[in-house]
Amino acid sequence: MTNEEFLTEMLDVLQTEEQLSMDTVLDDLDEWDSLSVMATMAFLEKSFGIKTTMKDYKEMKTIGDIAKKAGL
Amino acid sequence: MTVAFFNHTRICGIKTVLPEHFIDIDDELQYFDNNPKKLARAKKMMGYGRRYIADERTTVTDMAVYAAEKLLLEMKIDRNDIDLLIFVNQKPDYPEPCDACVAHGKLKLNKNCTSLDINLGCSGYVHGLLTAHALMSSGAYKTCLLLVGDLCARTTDQTNRKGAPVFGDAASATVLTYTSEERNAYFVTGTDGTGWNKIVHPLGGMRLPLDKDTIDLYAEDTIGNRVLLHKGIMKGEDVFNFTMDVAPALLKDTMKAANWTADDVDLFAIHQANKQIVENIIAKAEIPPEKAPVDVFSKYANNSTNSVVTVLCDQTNPLKNVVLCAFGIGLSWGGAALDLSGLYNGGIAHYVTPQDAPSRERQIKYWINFFKGEEE
Repeated sequence: MTNEEFLTEMLDVLQTEEQLSMDTVLDDLDEWDSLSVMATMAFLEKSFGIKTTMKDYKEMKTIGDIAKKAGL
Repeated sequence: MTVAFFNHTRICGIKTVLPEHFIDIDDELQYFDNNPKKLARAKKMMGYGRRYIADERTTVTDMAVYAAEKLLLEMKIDRNDIDLLIFVNQKPDYPEPCDACVAHGKLKLNKNCTSLDINLGCSGYVHGLLTAHALMSSGAYKTCLLLVGDLCARTTDQTNRKGAPVFGDAASATVLTYTSEERNAYFVTGTDGTGWNKIVHPLGGMRLPLDKDTIDLYAEDTIGNRVLLHKGIMKGEDVFNFTMDVAPALLKDTMKAANWTADDVDLFAIHQANKQIVENIIAKAEIPPEKAPVDVFSKYANNSTNSVVTVLCDQTNPLKNVVLCAFGIGLSWGGAALDLSGLYNGGIAHYVTPQDAPSRERQIKYWINFFKGEEE
C-alpha cells in the first residue's frame, strides 16, 4: 500500500471529511475518538495483520505514526 | 483443537424473547453533541440501532420461562417429557439457588428432571448445546429444555457510552430430543482463563462482596466514562484482539471438524458483538458475507449469551447446515456445526411485564414475612 492509498483508506476508517496528511495530528481531528481507535485497530489487523493496544494509541500522535505502525 | 462429535440429538425448536421496552440510537442525539452527522457516523461505523432493555421487574428467568411456555405450546410438547433442564445465564435471579431450579419450579416440570446452570456469557449457548448433546448421548435423557439469556442492557448504566449502545437484553428456549436417526453435531470449544479479568464484574462475589464501602464505587475508563464497579468492566481493545485471534480460526476449525466448506453451509450465526467486529471476522475468515448476517446487531444489539440464538430466530428461511461461532467472557469460545433440518423456528416474541409483577418494595416485604414464617 502506498502512502497515498493509506491516506485514502484512513479517510474511510475515521469517517472524516478532513484533509489528511502524514503530519495530521490525531488530537486535532474532531473524529479521533474511541470509535476511531477501534476502527484503526480493525484496519491495522485486517489490512496489515498488525495487532495494537491502547498503549500504542497513547504513543501515536500523527497519522504518520499509524502508517509507521503499519510498516509503511 | 478438541472436537466433540454427537449423532443422536436433534435440535427441534427455538424461540427468542425480548423485553417490551427499547431505545433507538436515533433518539439519543444528545450523546452525539446534538450533531446528526456524528450520530450517522457512529451508526455507520458500529451499526448502532435498536436495543431492548428489561425493566427492573424483569429477569432472565422471566423471559426464558415465557419463551419456554410459548415454545412448548406451539410445538405441542408435553412438559412432563422434559427430563433435562440446562440454564445458561450470568445474571441469576438469586445468588442461590441456581436458575435452572427456579425455572423448573415456575414451569412445573416433572420431578424426574436433572436441572443445572452454566455460568457463561457470549459463548454460553454453544456450551449449553454441547452439554445437552453430551448428556443426551448417554441415552438417559430424551427431552432437553435449554434456556439461555442475559441482561447486559439492564445492568449497564445508560450514560456509559462505551457499553450502553452495544447491549440489548434477550432470552430464549431451545428444545432438543434424543433421536435414533443419524443427526451429526460437531463442537469446537476452548478457554483462555488468563483473560478472566478482561470482561468482569469485580464486585458482588465472594472475592469482594458488595457492601456499603463499594456500592457507589466509580472508576473512570479510557474515554472518561464514569463506570460503577459493580456494573462490570470490559477491556474493549483487549477483547477485540482476542476476538480477531480466535473467531476467524474458530469458524475454519468448526467447518473442518464437520468436513464442510463454506459452500456446504447455509448460515453462519456469528455472535453479534458489534457490526464492525462481525464484519472483520467475516473478512478474515474469508466466508461469504451473504451467509453471515451482521444486521441482527442493528436490529437487536449484542444479546450476549442469546446473541447466536437471536441470529437463528431472525431467519425466515428454513435452516439446514448451520455454523455457530460464539466468543467472549472467560475468555472462552465455542463453535458448532449443526444439522438443523426440520427445526421449528418460533421467531422473536416480546415479553410484556405483567401488571402484577412484584415491585422491589413488595419483594422486600415478601422476604421479611417469609423469614417470619408469614408467606404472602
